[in-house]
Amino acid sequence: MTLREAPPEATDAIDGLEARRPVVDIEAPRGRPARAVAAVVLPPVIVGAVLLVAWEAWVRVRDIPAYLLPPPGAVLDALRDEPGRYAGALGESLVAALGGLVLASGLAFALAVVMAHSRLLERALYPPALWIKVTPIVAVYPLLVIWFGFGLGPRVVVAALITFFPMLVNAVVGLRAVDPRALDVMRVLDASRAQVFWRLRLPSSLPYVFAALRISVPLSLIGAVVAEFLSGSAGMGQLILIANGDFDTAALFGAVFVLAAAGIGLTAAVSYVEARVLTWHVTATGV
Amino acid sequence: MLVTADVQRQAPRTADAPAVRLRDVSHAYRGADGALVVLDRVDLDVAEGEFVSVVGPSGCGKTTLLRAVAGLLEPSAGDAEVLGGTPRQAQRAHAFGLVAQEPGLLPWRSVEANVRLPLEIAGARADVPALLGRVGIAGFERYRPGELSGGMRQRVALARALAHGPRLLLMDEPFGALDELSREAMRVELLRLWEAERITVIFVTHAVREAALLSDRVVVMSPRPGRIVADIRVDLPRPRPEAAEDSPAFLDVVARVRAALRSATP
Repeated sequence: MTLREAPPEATDAIDGLEARRPVVDIEAPRGRPARAVAAVVLPPVIVGAVLLVAWEAWVRVRDIPAYLLPPPGAVLDALRDEPGRYAGALGESLVAALGGLVLASGLAFALAVVMAHSRLLERALYPPALWIKVTPIVAVYPLLVIWFGFGLGPRVVVAALITFFPMLVNAVVGLRAVDPRALDVMRVLDASRAQVFWRLRLPSSLPYVFAALRISVPLSLIGAVVAEFLSGSAGMGQLILIANGDFDTAALFGAVFVLAAAGIGLTAAVSYVEARVLTWHVTATGV
Repeated sequence: MLVTADVQRQAPRTADAPAVRLRDVSHAYRGADGALVVLDRVDLDVAEGEFVSVVGPSGCGKTTLLRAVAGLLEPSAGDAEVLGGTPRQAQRAHAFGLVAQEPGLLPWRSVEANVRLPLEIAGARADVPALLGRVGIAGFERYRPGELSGGMRQRVALARALAHGPRLLLMDEPFGALDELSREAMRVELLRLWEAERITVIFVTHAVREAALLSDRVVVMSPRPGRIVADIRVDLPRPRPEAAEDSPAFLDVVARVRAALRSATP
């Protein structure tokens, strides 16, 4: 979780009438010179390339059978032979994951607004919310199938259940993490609850909301794939089940890479939006 | 009293209706080991247009006193009256401007939007650029608080406190977090500003010279439980130039405030 902090102080100003330079220059997403980008991007790319080469070499030298560990080339071939298969499955998984994420985040935030305004309601609602969190999804899944059938329903619900709690907890903390001085200023002006909410609480909570999204976006994908794996009805989970039945290890690896890439892409998307929305906030410094 | 402060706003000023009247105000916080009495039967009258400083050691209840006046805190006992009504009524009439030690600006808003905040809430209008000019930060409308120095942020907080035309400015160690040079600049600025506008000010500080330079009266409080032990009138001519700090009359006030502080400390 990201705590809200004041921007680091530059100490050169003696209350002169000169503004200080923006404080977070070094990591700011804008105006980053190409060399700095390379310094961030290159090391992990090099490590990745070295690992792939080592993997390929290991498989060849030890003559490991492809059903145990296919070489990276074979995985790449599997992805290249049937791109539609992976893209279609990923699309189905993403619909369930993001559907559940949006549903859960919306509900959780609305509930957090209520809980942030009333300690009594917070005490009343927290235990059931915690109960949802600690219950293993796998145990609930048969019930979800009974209630929602074999279609998209239970997969969305699983993604929603798994992402609900992070948003709830972070949003409650964020909605309460208002600057008490700013709150005083609004209170002596007789500001209404709605005015305090829209002008102070909601913007104050945004860094926490984005922190929650960075946690729950990959979780939603996990939830969707687990549901698909249990039901075998669609998406990447189904693709994995089928590839497993076929002893198609290359396809299994392909699925793993596709899911990892999707998770990275989604997280990067959240960070991108965060950096655009929270330009005023210190943690908004890109991925 | 059912007269709203809004009505009071139009009412003629009368010498016997002080802007702030505290009667027998006591306050205790409930802590782990019983009640902690921070204010003990405080009486205080502040006349309309008067600049009154409240001076005392840390923890003497200065802030509590100010919060009771602002209606941010209901005192355990006693009455707080503001502009002839309750503090709540004064809040509804948008009579207060508040400046605390930390500026409490909204970091996502520009300087201008921060100063507009009270206007949005009070439904009032003001010439924000002119206001920024008056507090010495003209031209910084579009900056974010995070891009400003501590002293400049505090100027923005002052502009915000004045934006909606309050009748009562409450300042809680407003320069306490600033370095000495910024402090001095802000002091001069505030003096100039107040001498032009003459709104009622209650100014909490623990800086004796600052209190003496700015105020019409310096109220001295004892350590906890806070009690008013001296009420010292500052008869220095206005407008007060910075050179006033070297005059014998000024040094006399400082000496008397210090003596009162010493005698109050056991």
